[in-house]
Amino acid sequence: MDASQVAQITEMMYALRNPAGVPTYPLIFIGLGVLTFALHILFVQLMLGTSIITIFGAFKNDDKWRRLGSAMLEISKVSVSVAIVIGVAPLLFVQVVYDPHWYTSNVLSAYWVIAFIIILIFAYWAMYFYYFQNSKNKDKTVQPKARWSMLLSLALMLTVGFIMHSLTSQILHPDLWKSWYMQNGVMDYSGSTLHAYNLWRFAFFISMAIPVTGGMLVTYRRFKSVRSDADQAYLTWAAEIGKTWIKVGSIISALLYVAWMMTIPETAGDFATSFWGIIAGVMVLFYAVWAQFRLKGEAKFCSYMALPMALVIGLVIATSREMLRYGILNDFFHYDFMDYKIVWDWYSTGLFFLTFAIVGGATLAYFLTVAWQAGQTVGVYTPSPAVDKLGTVVIWIMILWTIQFFVVGFYVWAQ
Amino acid sequence: MDLISLYPTWYEPSVGSGWVIALIATFHVLASHTSVGAALLFAYLSHRAYKEDRDDLLDFVKKYGLFLMVFTYVAGSITGPGIWYSTTVASPNGIGALIHSFVWKWATEWVFFVIEVVGVYMIVYLVGKVDKKTHMKISVIFGIASLATMIIIVGILSFMMMPGKEIWFEEGGYLNGFYGTNTFIQTGMRIAFMFTMTAIVGGIVVATIKDPAFKKEMTRKLGWLGIISTIIGAALFQWYITSVPSQALLVMENRLPDYFGPSIIAVLSGTLAYFIITMIRPQFLVQGLAGGMAILFLVAGLWPEETARESMRKPWVAGQYVYSNQVIGRDVPGMDIKSDLPTIERVGILQAHPFTPDHLKVVNEANMIQSGEFIAMTYCSNCHSPSETGIRPLHRYFPEGVTQARMEKYVKGVLTTGNIAYMPKMPMLDSEVEALSAYLVMNNDGGQPAITAAIAEEVEHRNRMLAAQKATDKVAILDNVQEAK
Repeated sequence: MDASQVAQITEMMYALRNPAGVPTYPLIFIGLGVLTFALHILFVQLMLGTSIITIFGAFKNDDKWRRLGSAMLEISKVSVSVAIVIGVAPLLFVQVVYDPHWYTSNVLSAYWVIAFIIILIFAYWAMYFYYFQNSKNKDKTVQPKARWSMLLSLALMLTVGFIMHSLTSQILHPDLWKSWYMQNGVMDYSGSTLHAYNLWRFAFFISMAIPVTGGMLVTYRRFKSVRSDADQAYLTWAAEIGKTWIKVGSIISALLYVAWMMTIPETAGDFATSFWGIIAGVMVLFYAVWAQFRLKGEAKFCSYMALPMALVIGLVIATSREMLRYGILNDFFHYDFMDYKIVWDWYSTGLFFLTFAIVGGATLAYFLTVAWQAGQTVGVYTPSPAVDKLGTVVIWIMILWTIQFFVVGFYVWAQ
Repeated sequence: MDLISLYPTWYEPSVGSGWVIALIATFHVLASHTSVGAALLFAYLSHRAYKEDRDDLLDFVKKYGLFLMVFTYVAGSITGPGIWYSTTVASPNGIGALIHSFVWKWATEWVFFVIEVVGVYMIVYLVGKVDKKTHMKISVIFGIASLATMIIIVGILSFMMMPGKEIWFEEGGYLNGFYGTNTFIQTGMRIAFMFTMTAIVGGIVVATIKDPAFKKEMTRKLGWLGIISTIIGAALFQWYITSVPSQALLVMENRLPDYFGPSIIAVLSGTLAYFIITMIRPQFLVQGLAGGMAILFLVAGLWPEETARESMRKPWVAGQYVYSNQVIGRDVPGMDIKSDLPTIERVGILQAHPFTPDHLKVVNEANMIQSGEFIAMTYCSNCHSPSETGIRPLHRYFPEGVTQARMEKYVKGVLTTGNIAYMPKMPMLDSEVEALSAYLVMNNDGGQPAITAAIAEEVEHRNRMLAAQKATDKVAILDNVQEAK
């Protein structure tokens, strides 16, 4: 590709930008995008890993595996919900600074974008179908019914994952967009094709489900072991599987990461051997090393650290992924998200961060404290006065937020 | 720079991309409004359960919550971003305008979404596992968080119809765009109807209650909720109509299908009758009836209402500055946004569109139908499908046997000048007028088969020309080489 061709592509990308601009520094959106993507993909991987355990448990004639499969189904259900709701955030932020790329990629594969929605609904419903078929049976060691629905759910989840992977990959090829819009010399308005993918990259992100779910199993043992009715032998067995999954899974993922780096587009230049190219792979391997040394014996504290560690590693990977995108689009195609037009809006910027920190922080602190302690209590849980008070404070914070929404609104309207 | 912000076009021939958005959005409205209303109902019932120490109310909350989790939270939480996805592929500049003005508002709503999702699991799974007071507190937080998601999104929906205040065009500012008369009335109307939906969908769960006394109590509670909210909602709808731009009323009077008014009146009357009958005779409330009522409300109530709201905005799709065909049709000095129309008038739509292939940038005899199709896809297909079916098919608007000259006169005299109130102004060079007209005439006469055949002929001609050119170049190179020898 010669310089004039690159210049034309650069001009096209800048023309596509939304003229309304962005309300604050573009880097902030990228930062939030990286943070929320790391959280999103963590729950996606948890969902996939726990689904695999559920399926394995359902097909293996082993009491412990069946119990574990049933327990992991609960985590899988919640993980799908959380993955979807957290996934909204990176979807929002990518549209803000990479709108030329995201919108073009989506329109060129529009059928798949719509299919994504429908397939995801059926994937989730298939999981719930399996749950309702088996939830009433108190004996979790018998062979579950409707095992096909769990298999279907996993297959559909992987399908939507691939669609999203492809849409994200297409962002990286602005040089091919126009050719994708024309098939065999004729304009193609159908949006019926997924044009770009990298199976190694997809396999890497999916494979991370193994170590992440390993971390989940280690945490599961630690969390449940404090209950007076806990079956310690079963929990220890589950944790041992978790440790193995972290170690073996991290090695598999690291190998797939290397394969991905060896197949990144030429436009990425020497990214694979750069700091950000190397550090993500190193961090994946580091998880195995960490598990080897820190998850020995009881590991009371580190067992709880297994998932936060996975999140930290996920953050490094998410940052590397972002740097790869920046490297291709900025260094090669000269599209710099940092120079997006800013139309300052301090009120909405401030309101978001205050809501995020105060409303979100306080509410989730209360919710998670109650959920955590209720999960560790046999019988009915009654919170301590401090936790109860926190609940009252959160209600007042929510009420005040709603009042300010209308007070500001009426004031602006009356002006 | 002569390029403007226009993306490729997604053309869906059977129903049209606009209907795809409408289908997803209507379903999402049912799911999301029911969820928000139910969240507030749960807060109330949980409070009563705590005050009166009643387990049956909490069992109802658990049952209804589980039902919602499967049907509305799963589908609602997916179709929510689903609206983003569908608008992204059908109207990228429309959704882009909203995203770029209200990104932080959506991000703020997202914080409440996260609270909502964690909250619904806690409400369902912690019944009997935490004391009633704690459950009540969780329910109240969950209820307010759900309501917050609703009031935030209504401001953005109102902006789609018109910015909150006229001054937004001159001064910009998120607050001026977000808050306006329409915002508040629409918020009230949606809150009212969300309780109606909660009462209707709740009937599916009430129908499963075995204890006749409790069933009667819950039927009455939901019945009163439904009756009061339906009446208030209907009144607010009348008020809402007064808050939309006069242009929207004009479209409403002239463009909405005849069944719109009667359908809305019938569904509201039917809803009231349904609540009254089930309150008097709770035994009539069975799952089939309640489910049927929910579907009726979706099909005969929400569908026309949402499509009407969509149609009324025409020719705009967002903020009265982005046309439904994605072109920016007016200046917004407050946001430093310039209309695309002067650029298109100067260079033509084919030169201004970033995705026009090189061989279609200038209209000639050999690319006439392809260029015409490209223009039709860009300018027309969002609202008028060139297919037999789909959204407002183009062929229905032209008489059989319409001539090229007549069509050119129409395109030039009406479309390029913006002389139809509810259609965008669509500037074109004369050559583009000719190309679009040729395409429209051919589409009118022979439909898609004729277009496909004509394009195949043009492509073949182009390939022949390219091959001939290649051969000539090769001969020239050989000549040069021989001369050099």
